[in-house]
Amino acid sequence: MMAAIQAMARRRPPGRHVAGWPQRVVGCLLVLLVLSAGLVAPPANAANVLRLFNWNNYISQSTLDRFEAQCHCKVEQDYYSDNEEMLAKLAAGATGYDILVPTGNAVETLIRQDALRPLDRSRLPHFGNLNPAFLGGFYDPANRYAVPYAYTITLLGYNRTRLDALGLPHDTWGLLFEPKYLEKLKGRVTVLDSPRELMAAALRYLGYSVNDTDEAHWARARDLIIRAKPYWASFSNSSYIKELTVGNIWLAHGYSNDMYVAAQDAEKAGRAFTVAFSTPKEGAVLALDNMVLHRSGPRPDLAQAFMDFMLDGQNSAELTNLIGSGNPNQAAMPYIRPAIASNKAVFPDAEGVRQLEMLRDLDRRQRRVLNRMWVEIKLR
Amino acid sequence: MSKLAPATITRWVVSGPPTLFMLLFFLAPSLIMVLASFRYPGAFGGLAPVFGGGRPGEDTGLTLENYQFFFSDLLYTEIFLKSLLIALISTLACILMAYPLALLIARSPKRHRDLMVLLVILPFASNFLIRVYALMILLGPQQALASTINGVLAAFGCAPVSLLFSTFAVVVGMVYVHLPFMVLPLYTNLEKHDPTLLDAAQDLGASAWSRFWRVTFPLSLPGIFSGSALVFIPVLGMFAIPDLLGGTRDILIGNLIKDQFLGTRDWPFGSMLSIMLTVVVLALAGLAARLGQRKRDGGN
Repeated sequence: MMAAIQAMARRRPPGRHVAGWPQRVVGCLLVLLVLSAGLVAPPANAANVLRLFNWNNYISQSTLDRFEAQCHCKVEQDYYSDNEEMLAKLAAGATGYDILVPTGNAVETLIRQDALRPLDRSRLPHFGNLNPAFLGGFYDPANRYAVPYAYTITLLGYNRTRLDALGLPHDTWGLLFEPKYLEKLKGRVTVLDSPRELMAAALRYLGYSVNDTDEAHWARARDLIIRAKPYWASFSNSSYIKELTVGNIWLAHGYSNDMYVAAQDAEKAGRAFTVAFSTPKEGAVLALDNMVLHRSGPRPDLAQAFMDFMLDGQNSAELTNLIGSGNPNQAAMPYIRPAIASNKAVFPDAEGVRQLEMLRDLDRRQRRVLNRMWVEIKLR
Repeated sequence: MSKLAPATITRWVVSGPPTLFMLLFFLAPSLIMVLASFRYPGAFGGLAPVFGGGRPGEDTGLTLENYQFFFSDLLYTEIFLKSLLIALISTLACILMAYPLALLIARSPKRHRDLMVLLVILPFASNFLIRVYALMILLGPQQALASTINGVLAAFGCAPVSLLFSTFAVVVGMVYVHLPFMVLPLYTNLEKHDPTLLDAAQDLGASAWSRFWRVTFPLSLPGIFSGSALVFIPVLGMFAIPDLLGGTRDILIGNLIKDQFLGTRDWPFGSMLSIMLTVVVLALAGLAARLGQRKRDGGN
């Protein structure tokens, strides 16, 4: 049960605020509750029920309704708000889930734990709809287990009106790290409270890979961050959405779908400024979520029917239209609202995609060294 | 064969369950933590096994590595010192604010006291996180408080300050959340003082100040000590308040420990830090007890 507070390499629930630790503590308590309930109540038998273990708000209700009508079955969903929470729940013995939707590095963990069933491609006739750029990730090179579902990019959200008035560019990590820009933004900048994400931004700015583990490169990134830190207002994993929307913060390091929410909210509230977001030209972190089959799921047949259903362009587009997430499905593009489809920060062109990298897990020594640097960053 | 006296049986029946509870939920986890601090982290978080083979790339067995890493430089010691300083400042602020309040309640007519104590406890009725979020709003840059202060500062030609996301906000939050823990023991102590002592002091010509300083204050020291313990120790381990109210430099030992479990997947190092914290707290408590002892002995 101690695994229920397993740690996280990164936290990135798509489509809504990033879970801060309070949500996570509550989440862990819920895990305990659910598990203890599971001891009492026998699991539902393998009736026509598909059990989905998914991120919060990560599928449109109308999509679900249509699938239920088509398969004459019921879809039951449980939710998590970060990968580690999901892994911890499974490690603590949660069973009976047909489909999980983990991010790349969590897929890798699940494969190594031998917790996934291989896919039967003959049951996925629409697999070809997927953009090849999002196939063959490091965690599953031949896509034997993973069907890409949706993605977010870690990028810069900003108050475009303010940045333009100050004559600042929009498309470089330099905004976060260069004193010449930051002097005009002092106290108006937030960055993610995540060692991996912030170091990734600094590493890309310095021209290294986000998965670079050379300590000398890390040290350069650390120094860059320490030099920029006096200009930042705070480390923030979720409040930046609100702060951008009300105009307290002019530049935020965060996730593309959160920035989409902030931009929408600012527009709906009729603010005198616009919130926009773009991927820095130096490159950024891509978090690709995948549908996978958990070994404990009693209905792999139904699960793969669902996967294929979600590979249909129209069904897949509904999620993007709902939360502004990136979509690896080429067939979805005609159904996506033009305002989102034309946004380079949600749908980068081929060149932009090449600049994106997925985070890989660090080993324990690297985690410890990184954490020590993080402490240094926080203390200085 | 010895025969158990009924009184002994009753004592065991009554004290057994709480003792068992403490053994199970306090002692056992503490021992697990001590053991964990000598182990290696597991590949996917958690702990690597002590005996037998781990996963590829995992070290197994016991190690002093976690302690060595802590003492390899002064960085972690610096966080400890900083946290101790914040805890000290918060405790002193609590004493300064709680003392007059507790005295006021204790000297009020009896019929008002219960209501006033109730008012002190009232904030506990809402979750403290919600109250901290409320503080975030109060201290926010566009609120009346910040704009008034910055207006005054601007009049004197000073640069505006940020109230939220600062060490100041962290201390305000700490004091706000822990103030009742100082007021209640102080009040309980002050309420028991015999008023005739003060009358006697006055009859003997003591001024109001000297009545307070030489009678009330020394008598209230046990209340101050227990209140300080109730404030100092939780503040030392607090991570929520620096997380929410702190700026870019406000990391405390509580945040560091939390990070080891929730961010870095390094349980052994987190356990080690937690044990170090316990040792520091116990050492301080021992020191305080020793000082108190010597003062009492010297006084007699």
